[in-house]
Amino acid sequence: MIERLAFLWPEIALFITTCVVMVVGLSRSTGVRRLSALITAVGLAAALVLAVATTPKAGQFAPADGQTLFPDLPVFAKTLFAAVGLLLLPLLVGTVDRDDEREIAAGRRAFDPLRSNRAEFYAFYLFSLTGLMLCASASDLVWLFLALELTSLPTYVMVAISSRRHRAQEAAVKYFFLGALGAACFLMGFAFIYGGTGTTRLNVIADVFAASGINPIALAGLVLAVVGLAFKIAAVPMHFYTPDVYQGASPSVAGMLAFVPKAAGFVSLILVLGTVGWTHGPGGESGHSLPESLRVILWVMAALTMTVGNVLALLQSSVRRVLAYSSVAHSGYMLVALVAGPGDGSAASNGLAAVLFYLLAYGVMNLGAFAVLASLVRRNPKDGSADEIDSFDDLRGLCATRPFHGWTLVVCALSLLGFPPLLGFFAKVPLFTSGIAAGEYTLVVILGLNSAIAAFYYLRLVQMPLLEKPDPTTPVPEPVGVPSRTAAGLLSAAGAVVLIAVAGSLFDQAHRASRDPRTVAPARDAAGEPPAAPPIAARPE
Amino acid sequence: MTTALAATDLGSYLPIFLIVMMAITFAAINIGASLLLGPRRPGETKGGTYESGMNPVGTARKRFNVRFYLIAMTFLVFDVEIIFLFPWAATFSNLEPMGENAAVWLARIGFFLFTTVVMYVYGVRKGVFKFD
Amino acid sequence: MTTTTDILTLAAAGGIEPGAGLTMLVPVLTLLGTLLCGLCAAFKVKSKLPAWLSVACLAGSFVAIAATYADLGHQQRLAHGFEWINFSYTGTDGQPVTFKANFAFYIDSLTLLWMLFVTGLATLIALYASEYMSHDQGTGYCRFFAAFNLFVFSMACLVMGDNLLLLYLGWEGVGLCSYLLIGYFYTRPSAVAAAKKAFIMNRIGDLGLALGIMLTFVHFGSVEYAVIFEKARPYIDALKAGHLDEIPLVASFIPILLMIGAFGKSAQLPLYVWLPDAMEGPTPVSALIHAATMVTAGVYLIARTYPLFLLSDVALPIVGWVGASTALLAATIGMAQFDIKRIMAYSTVSQLGYMFAGLAVLSPVGGASHVFTHAFFKAMLFLSCGAVMHGFAGQLDLRKLSGLFRMPGWKVVSVAMLVGCLNLAGFPLITAGYWSKDIILAEAFVNMPGVGWVLLITAGLTAYYTFRVFFRVFMGPTHYEPGDEVHGHDAHGHGDAHGHDHGHAHHDDPHGHGPAVTATAHDPHAGHDFHPHAPGWAINTVLAVLALASFAIVPLMLTGEHHGWAGGMVEHSSAAYHTVGTSGYLEAAHGHGPHDHGHTHGHDHDHDHGQAHGTFLGMDPHKVMYYVSGVVGLLGIAAAFWLHLAGRTSAASSRADALVPAMGPLAGWARGKWFVDEFYDALIVKPLWVISHIFHVIDTLIVDGLVNLVGWVPRALGGVLRPSQSGQLHGYAAGMAGGLALLLIIVLWVTLR
Repeated sequence: MIERLAFLWPEIALFITTCVVMVVGLSRSTGVRRLSALITAVGLAAALVLAVATTPKAGQFAPADGQTLFPDLPVFAKTLFAAVGLLLLPLLVGTVDRDDEREIAAGRRAFDPLRSNRAEFYAFYLFSLTGLMLCASASDLVWLFLALELTSLPTYVMVAISSRRHRAQEAAVKYFFLGALGAACFLMGFAFIYGGTGTTRLNVIADVFAASGINPIALAGLVLAVVGLAFKIAAVPMHFYTPDVYQGASPSVAGMLAFVPKAAGFVSLILVLGTVGWTHGPGGESGHSLPESLRVILWVMAALTMTVGNVLALLQSSVRRVLAYSSVAHSGYMLVALVAGPGDGSAASNGLAAVLFYLLAYGVMNLGAFAVLASLVRRNPKDGSADEIDSFDDLRGLCATRPFHGWTLVVCALSLLGFPPLLGFFAKVPLFTSGIAAGEYTLVVILGLNSAIAAFYYLRLVQMPLLEKPDPTTPVPEPVGVPSRTAAGLLSAAGAVVLIAVAGSLFDQAHRASRDPRTVAPARDAAGEPPAAPPIAARPE
Repeated sequence: MTTALAATDLGSYLPIFLIVMMAITFAAINIGASLLLGPRRPGETKGGTYESGMNPVGTARKRFNVRFYLIAMTFLVFDVEIIFLFPWAATFSNLEPMGENAAVWLARIGFFLFTTVVMYVYGVRKGVFKFD
Repeated sequence: MTTTTDILTLAAAGGIEPGAGLTMLVPVLTLLGTLLCGLCAAFKVKSKLPAWLSVACLAGSFVAIAATYADLGHQQRLAHGFEWINFSYTGTDGQPVTFKANFAFYIDSLTLLWMLFVTGLATLIALYASEYMSHDQGTGYCRFFAAFNLFVFSMACLVMGDNLLLLYLGWEGVGLCSYLLIGYFYTRPSAVAAAKKAFIMNRIGDLGLALGIMLTFVHFGSVEYAVIFEKARPYIDALKAGHLDEIPLVASFIPILLMIGAFGKSAQLPLYVWLPDAMEGPTPVSALIHAATMVTAGVYLIARTYPLFLLSDVALPIVGWVGASTALLAATIGMAQFDIKRIMAYSTVSQLGYMFAGLAVLSPVGGASHVFTHAFFKAMLFLSCGAVMHGFAGQLDLRKLSGLFRMPGWKVVSVAMLVGCLNLAGFPLITAGYWSKDIILAEAFVNMPGVGWVLLITAGLTAYYTFRVFFRVFMGPTHYEPGDEVHGHDAHGHGDAHGHDHGHAHHDDPHGHGPAVTATAHDPHAGHDFHPHAPGWAINTVLAVLALASFAIVPLMLTGEHHGWAGGMVEHSSAAYHTVGTSGYLEAAHGHGPHDHGHTHGHDHDHDHGQAHGTFLGMDPHKVMYYVSGVVGLLGIAAAFWLHLAGRTSAASSRADALVPAMGPLAGWARGKWFVDEFYDALIVKPLWVISHIFHVIDTLIVDGLVNLVGWVPRALGGVLRPSQSGQLHGYAAGMAGGLALLLIIVLWVTLR
């Protein structure tokens, strides 16, 4: 039991930071309150270091002690989450309490802890990341469910407090109720899986499936779990909330929503589908495929998610809604690789690695687009009020008027489009190769068509800042007064360029992380490490 | 670990069944007895919501001060804590005093209590317990 | 060696393995230079700071290369930067195929030879440009030096890369920088047109190169030189044994495709027309990119992949004849031009032809040596022309300049020009150009006598037109007219039109009083009010250094056993792969090994492939060519002296004008550059224009309709789906539940089917 702690050091670090932030953020002293973002950063950095340094790798723990479906997944996923979390932090800075703090600094008001949201905001962000990391090391359905809820619940509140506008509250309520529906769906699925197999331990479930097949109750459970988890990744048919919530929340929180729940959903999907394995169906000559029924629903979901996301994004005039629908579409792309599965052991055929790597790339490059929206406001010339920029027209000529923001947007949009040689391109290629390797030609064609449709609206995001002349009659967008958001955007754009250099080795890491000792024979291990887990027959119960 | 559900063994559900039956019977006997034995003198006061004390005024769908919710939630946390503490305390005394399991169990409840303390400190700083 | 130690410590601190780190410094420093110049542009630096930064970065690169050479000598080394591309897939035959291209450098003596003169000349020319470009200080200045650094970076990738893909990256990179720098004066339509012309012409070649690289990968399963050469070894062995038919046809296509790429980049027939127009760029660019370094990339490509070129029995002969024809054609055009920078451009095309011919006649040593010497003297010639142009407000017409040698402040330029001309003309014994040209000529007469004769004639013509420039511009009576850029712009603004105008005008007016002279009479700035400004210290220093260097390399040409130092550098690289490890095979296959030239030649005359060992009029070319080429060079100079200096009294006319009518239409054709541009225009551009208009009609009617339909479908689909996003919570919940129900039905259907 105590051995399981080895998996939890990053989470514990985050939790302790949360406790500190919750107290510090409510301090009466403005200077101390200001520290909360810094403390959050320190905690995340500590979690990053701990994730790399302490998370056990394959062969370093007994199967009973930890997650054994994908023994190298936790270390990769946690490192990724901590790193992207650290990158998201400068974007989130200044989301809550900015006006209040200005009033307090001006001496017009005294500090009122009940009105202040700073402590909760950072604490909930950390809670959410804690849940996200817990997802990655889940070895049990109950654990997985709790981790998913720990990821989601804080985000509902974050949406609500991210803006003083009513829209944010409306978005939060929608998000909460629909989220509860989704959670109910996959919780029911987990219950059915338990009912069908008699256990909640993921590796034992996998053994039961391997030994005696998938009975109808478990199959129903799997389907419910997959569809319920589709809410987290914003896939059809659970995608409806996405545009309303992204538009209602402040752009910074929307940027977080595009990564954190999606990452949790995909990691959970990999774990849940990992119990079934990609060793069933007729899929191609290698026989690597999910059971036919699961393959079909994931196939349908992937095709619909890509298409619905992209065609609806085409019609939007609000950039944030475009990004929301494109987030739906990106989930569809990743589902293609999820259908393909781990492949035949080579990196190019490994769809799970493609998903993990795409999560990384998406986390990095999507952040930049939201950072640009979050760091600029358009001041109304009449009453001096500032509105967040949201329409395409607001972006007109941004490269000339606000070069840092404009170029960040151009680079990130091109990368999201998958324009070579940016990071998005290198992330998209494995999706295609894994789909082809798995014989899912139709799905790959749909993926290609959708990438073309996406070009319509992503190129508008490039054209508006880069090629259009700024409109002389409207005022130039002003910086919002949080320089760290601009920095986050620049970091994101730089990441979309610089990470190309290490894309190969990062993908190798993802490839290793998604290695499932059940489906890949130890002899094929490229790394030459000893077999990660004993054969199924010898595994102790 | 048993991997099969004892779904067919209905005998294990017998205690639950008995409790349900006892509850129904108890309620039925009480209601029936008051119907049969109680005197009946209907009137203005007797027909009120509360037979004794104040008369209800206005609609029940009124807005409460938000502090009630805060208090309620704080109460809930402590309530849940008690629910966990009782079975823990009942089991802990049966463990080998200095064994490894005892340490783990102690650490677990310690962690659980720690979260409550953090919640409490947070509540205090947030001003939940200020009634002014 | 304190500098080296410092760099070593630096490299060690950066975690790079020493040795590898030294060469890796070149891309790092040049990229850093690009970045810093970009930052200068961003911060609107108005000083010469970007120039000094560039000179420092480039000098650092040169030192790194020199230190590597001192360390490595003729050994080889693989310097690994980082893993760039590495993925594997299952091939059509079921075998796993790995495509690997690292950012790694293959350092051998050929690489070092190239990098030494690339970085060395780049440093000097950057110094020159610091003064030359000073009129444009500001963002233009930064842009210039940023592109300059980026060019050296790309060149480093091209030359040092250990695989063909990295070479291709550099190849495209230098093409891009060339485009950016030719179009530097982007407000001038002729510069923009020239930039586009260069870019498009190069695309044709690049297509060949890309196909060649793909075919290499398909056939050899790798793009890394080490692997390719290893896999090509059996073929070479087969060749050695005389079994040419054992080489698969596919393999023999590779050199032909690579060759097309080389022709494009190195301006050979039929793709040479972009290079003369490229002179629209600032002169330092012409000197570095379009004379000394980039255009020799084609030579490098062939030298580097020389083992592959042996696999085809037609590739090298084609290279030889194309090179020789280009050399002759460009020389004849050069004889008839009046724009001195353009004459130098044609001489570059011509000399590149020599280099290709040198490669083709189994003498990579000769080709590479000529690249090396040519880099020095041609850079010097261009920089001298640039100094003239800088000083005379863009004047480049040799009929309007005369006797600069006697003008105060122009001594260094004149002497540098003289040294450059002597080299280009192949003045016997004292010039490096003579020695490197001699290797090619001798080897050509041995292996391809036809090519040899063409090259010999060209050598005479070269000497003539070179000294025509020198005698007209620098000797004779002092006379000058300013150009049309009186404010000292690097202008030459008449550009392309210039050449054409004179080409046609003087056809009717053999006395040389062209419209340009008439025009200057109306020019308010013209005439005696104009004061040319002599070059400053930076230009003079660079010219002096280059002049001294071009003499200093003469001893290098004569030492060692492989035609001097440069030859030795080539002999120890893959360019001489065929002689390494398979000693003596060439004697069997082609009857002659380049390394035994002048020493053991003549011992072995039995040829498998049936080509007769050539002689020069029955004599051994290796022995007589020293004298023959020297005499031919002197004859050319004498002709130039007689026609253009002796008895010349004005700048505009010379004795040569009297010859023009005697030559009939030939002179006019040569002035019109044999109307190759017009020929391309009529044969390719015009038909394409017509076809494109036909397609435009089809495009608007049918294709656009289809495209619009394709664009309309997603929008219509979106319109259909849009009502689902009503914003109503219960609607969303119903949608989710309905979707779930549908999916469950699908599952039911799939399971029960």
